[in-house]
Amino acid sequence: MALKLAVEEVGKDFLIPVIDRVSFGVEAGEFVCLLGPNGCGKTTLLRIVGGLEPATRGRVTLDGEPIVAGQPHQHKIGVVFQEDRLLPWLTLEQNVALVLKPIGLDAAERAAIARRYLKVAGLGGFEDYHPARVSGGMRQRTAIARALAIEPDVLLMDEPFGALDAQNRRIMQNEVRRIWRDTGRTILFVTHAIEEAVAVGTTLVMLSARPARIRELIRNDGRTDRVKLIDDLNTMIMEEVERQQGAAPPG
Amino acid sequence: MLAAWAALSFRYGAYVLPSPLAVLRGFVEILASGEIWRHTAASLSRIAVGFGGAVAVAMLLGLAAFLSRSARDVVHDVLSVLNSTSVFVWIVISIIWFGLSNWAPIFTTFMITLPVVASNIVEGIANVDRRLLEMGDAYRLSGREKFRSIVVPSTLPYLIAGMKVGFGLALKVSVVAEIFGVTSGIGYIMNYSREILATQMVFVWALVMILVMMATDTIVFDALSRRVARWR
Repeated sequence: MALKLAVEEVGKDFLIPVIDRVSFGVEAGEFVCLLGPNGCGKTTLLRIVGGLEPATRGRVTLDGEPIVAGQPHQHKIGVVFQEDRLLPWLTLEQNVALVLKPIGLDAAERAAIARRYLKVAGLGGFEDYHPARVSGGMRQRTAIARALAIEPDVLLMDEPFGALDAQNRRIMQNEVRRIWRDTGRTILFVTHAIEEAVAVGTTLVMLSARPARIRELIRNDGRTDRVKLIDDLNTMIMEEVERQQGAAPPG
Repeated sequence: MLAAWAALSFRYGAYVLPSPLAVLRGFVEILASGEIWRHTAASLSRIAVGFGGAVAVAMLLGLAAFLSRSARDVVHDVLSVLNSTSVFVWIVISIIWFGLSNWAPIFTTFMITLPVVASNIVEGIANVDRRLLEMGDAYRLSGREKFRSIVVPSTLPYLIAGMKVGFGLALKVSVVAEIFGVTSGIGYIMNYSREILATQMVFVWALVMILVMMATDTIVFDALSRRVARWR
């Protein structure tokens, strides 16, 4: 299969190095989870991939073309942030339709596509609601519908369920997994919850403590024993957390 | 309150404090003669030009502040200077510049309300949620689209709040400015009533001002803020 997304030797310094050098490739249709201890630069890495933040070194290519922050590109990148980031003054349908404008569709087509993807996200019937009138889970589903509606080359998700309670979180994980199967999108998903990563991802990229490097790249194809995998990952994270604390200056 | 007013009026005489009944009678009188509309319309039309101009310029300043960081600093400095200038300064300057004409109260109203409305808009623009703008960047929305869909709606409540305060100020200021050089308007007729020793008419016109203010607040501004907050 063709390499969809390539992260090559990417690093980032904010006064101190946050990401050392990270390289990995994502094939079309893969569901990759980025895992790692808190503050290891997962979100920063995702933002670099999305062209929202410049990298200090290395480069990111999508279908062979570089993605550089602040420079226009021809790709469609869907982003689901930690918060829903819906415009509160627009209805759910208008929120989804808005991001279709740069693609160059007329208003009727935009509305039709928005309704279709809201339905995919299980929000049929709520098209004309404003975000304040629906639950947090429904808002985050709208954000996912918005990201899917542009039919993205790659879908980036940054701890999208962090703000949800355990029950909604489980429901949303199943939803995303189902949407991924149904649409065949390429997904890069950041989380610090190991169970979540094992539940949804086909490939797990475990990052080290700051400055981030790749600690382990694991295929999660269903053949590996889930319980053992979760155990191993937990051990790795704890080691990295300890390393991070050990590396911190005394006092 | 009316009883106290009546008692004090009896004690100090109608020249100092006219009785409630005299004020009511005066009000009915200007209502019957249509004088109330002539002077209210004259004041309101000056406010419309002066305050309307201030709102328009304030929007342009807000746009400039959105587009460039250095423009934001300049606008900020200009507004703090304007904010600390007294009404009387502008009245005197406007008489020097425009003579005794309609333009004096219009200009004064403009200069006094501009900083109020503009500071609100600039503050609104500074408070636009960066995360929403970043969402716009992630989905490659054009600058114009981000302005239209994100900046304008988030700034609108600030604009309306600024306009509400600004309009109240405009009414008060333009009336003061009308004392000089014009022959119509609430300010002119109040001052004229004082000169002909018709104190009750001063009170009548003060009442008219209060009514105009209350009416615009409820009919225009409260309705507007409800309308922009429909989605809450």
